[in-house]
Amino acid sequence: MNEGESGLTLTQLARDGTSSQPMVSNLRMSAAAAGDLVAKLAPIARFADMFVRPAEHGLERVLVFTDDQSGGYLRLTCPLDESFPVPLSRVLPAAYQEECELYELWGVEPGGGKPVNRVILPPSAETAEPLRLPGGDRLSSEVRAPHVVQGEAIEFPWGPIRGAGQESLYLGLVTTGEELLDAYLAMFHKHRGLEHRMVGQTLARALFLAERCEGLGSVGNALALARAAEAALGIAVEPAAEVTRCLALELERIYHHVGSLAALGAATGLSVGQAEAEILLEDCLRLNARAFGHRYLFNLLEVGGVRRGADLAALDSGLDRLEARFESLVADLLATNSYVDRLEGAGTITADAAHRLGLVGPVARAAGVATDLRRTHQVSSASYVGFRPAREQAGDSLARMLVGAAEVRESLRLVRHWVRSGTPLQDDWAAPAPGQDHAGGPAEGLGWAETCRGEALVHLEVAEGRVSFARLRPAATRNWRAFDDALRARNVFTDVPIVEASFWLTVAGFAR
Amino acid sequence: MTPTARDPGALPLAGAAHGEIDAAAVRLKRRSQAVLRRSLHIRTVDTGSCGACESEIRLLSSPYYDFHRLGLFFTPTPRHADCLLVTGPGCRAMDHALLSAYEAMPAPKVVVAVGACPLGGVFGADRYTRGEITDVVPVDVVVPGCPPSPLALIHGLLLALDRIEERITLQEGEQ
Repeated sequence: MNEGESGLTLTQLARDGTSSQPMVSNLRMSAAAAGDLVAKLAPIARFADMFVRPAEHGLERVLVFTDDQSGGYLRLTCPLDESFPVPLSRVLPAAYQEECELYELWGVEPGGGKPVNRVILPPSAETAEPLRLPGGDRLSSEVRAPHVVQGEAIEFPWGPIRGAGQESLYLGLVTTGEELLDAYLAMFHKHRGLEHRMVGQTLARALFLAERCEGLGSVGNALALARAAEAALGIAVEPAAEVTRCLALELERIYHHVGSLAALGAATGLSVGQAEAEILLEDCLRLNARAFGHRYLFNLLEVGGVRRGADLAALDSGLDRLEARFESLVADLLATNSYVDRLEGAGTITADAAHRLGLVGPVARAAGVATDLRRTHQVSSASYVGFRPAREQAGDSLARMLVGAAEVRESLRLVRHWVRSGTPLQDDWAAPAPGQDHAGGPAEGLGWAETCRGEALVHLEVAEGRVSFARLRPAATRNWRAFDDALRARNVFTDVPIVEASFWLTVAGFAR
Repeated sequence: MTPTARDPGALPLAGAAHGEIDAAAVRLKRRSQAVLRRSLHIRTVDTGSCGACESEIRLLSSPYYDFHRLGLFFTPTPRHADCLLVTGPGCRAMDHALLSAYEAMPAPKVVVAVGACPLGGVFGADRYTRGEITDVVPVDVVVPGCPPSPLALIHGLLLALDRIEERITLQEGEQ
């Protein structure tokens, strides 16, 4: 149990709340009271998300907190027209990104005159319509937090178009030539408005869009959305279908970490290591295709279950070869001093920063933070028997690489266990799951999954089988918050690709 | 109105008869392909993809596919590029960057649209995305798929160079 100095826990604070689904408590209060509660929660709970939603009596602000020791989420709701006594990000630095988003989407200022960055609307959007501003007001043209680069330093602009096969993002690297002093990110060139597109759509269409939120994390994001829909509609998932989903989630985690190794090889100029990792990555993708019919595991999930089962014989025959090649690759990499030296100390994140910024997944675990929803927030008790989360302390690129390697080993063990131990899995082509018509009155649900990049959260509201409100919070949204911090920690110019490869986040997930 | 490479006013043949334009276009295409066919340098642009197409593009140079053996290479600058490999549904915030990259390339140049997104197969045209990238740059070859595999990408690139035969034309596909 995560306890602050006062001995309080999230569970105790949530005790007065109502519960609409297991592991989720709801508290509703005034903004002033919420401000006090947030100050109490900041040291003892992890800030997970903040968003605005339309409600019966106007707009509401929702904050989501979780406890990484005991599990469970706390949803804190307060009216949007009341402002907090102090800017939220002063007590909760992790919330700054969301504060900027809320200003652009709803025109809500953080308070205290704190400047906000433009994160959603492209710089050319002066003439475009405001996204969802009440009353049709336009934003002032300059909402960027001013930054000044002076002295001997310059801001080296990199992007939005970058190297071959890299996603678009603007990275302003402030440097004097070699040492990196600061970095500015602009990440919303790729904003596709997925949440906005989901409104009014069927759940199947919403699931399709959630998969394309992050192509290299399709199962994780789709699983979070499916679970949110199931929680809202009270649909129970068969244990066999649940394990099959976890199987796909672990296959995704394996190819994710192998992809990170390939990118690290490229970033360190280690061509042989890169080529070996790319061979392994292709093997992983082909195994995905043989097991589930798609290299990136698209079109697998549906609300209420899965659309097809795994080809267990194909999976079984591929696992041993994959594991042998993986172990050989990791051993060779760790025996290459020039490689290990480049990773060591590059892009260090302290445990304190990881908690302060609400980091999730392998990036947080490499900084010594014990957070893994597979251990604490299990939806089904059958899936993760004997699960051992990975953890490192150093917080640098090497620690993230080691966490990745440990997670691949654990995922391979889990997959092998499910495939070989006779755990009931979904039969080949699944019959339509119960509740396919998804009828029913308005309802809301929170869904989560420990994706390959960490916790993905989806808040979904459904009315008459269609989405009436959606909020996607992929893991990338949280972890990019730490990328500039990691770059500032005494790095040189050529460390940037290494830090990026060791984070291995997607821009698509952040920009949605 | 934002100028685009599709602006017919920019074409020297504007006003000529259709038959003449078609014949000139075929001659021009043959000459471009003759110039490009031995070695091709590729610049990639992501206009809002989910990242899966990028993953397949990165694998083009991996040992399994090794597209260097076919004379195909990535280049970090549009000035050295003969081919623009475009992914994503054409997010409007990327319009300027995409058009700048296209205009910075020396002629002759080809544009290959990768995946279902730039064909309008995933998102429609709205305030966030173009839907189809042909509104911004002219597309010579499309490689459908979500995402297209590295082999499909190599097929599309060789098609752009006229080094393999087209199995189905756009007109046949539409029927």
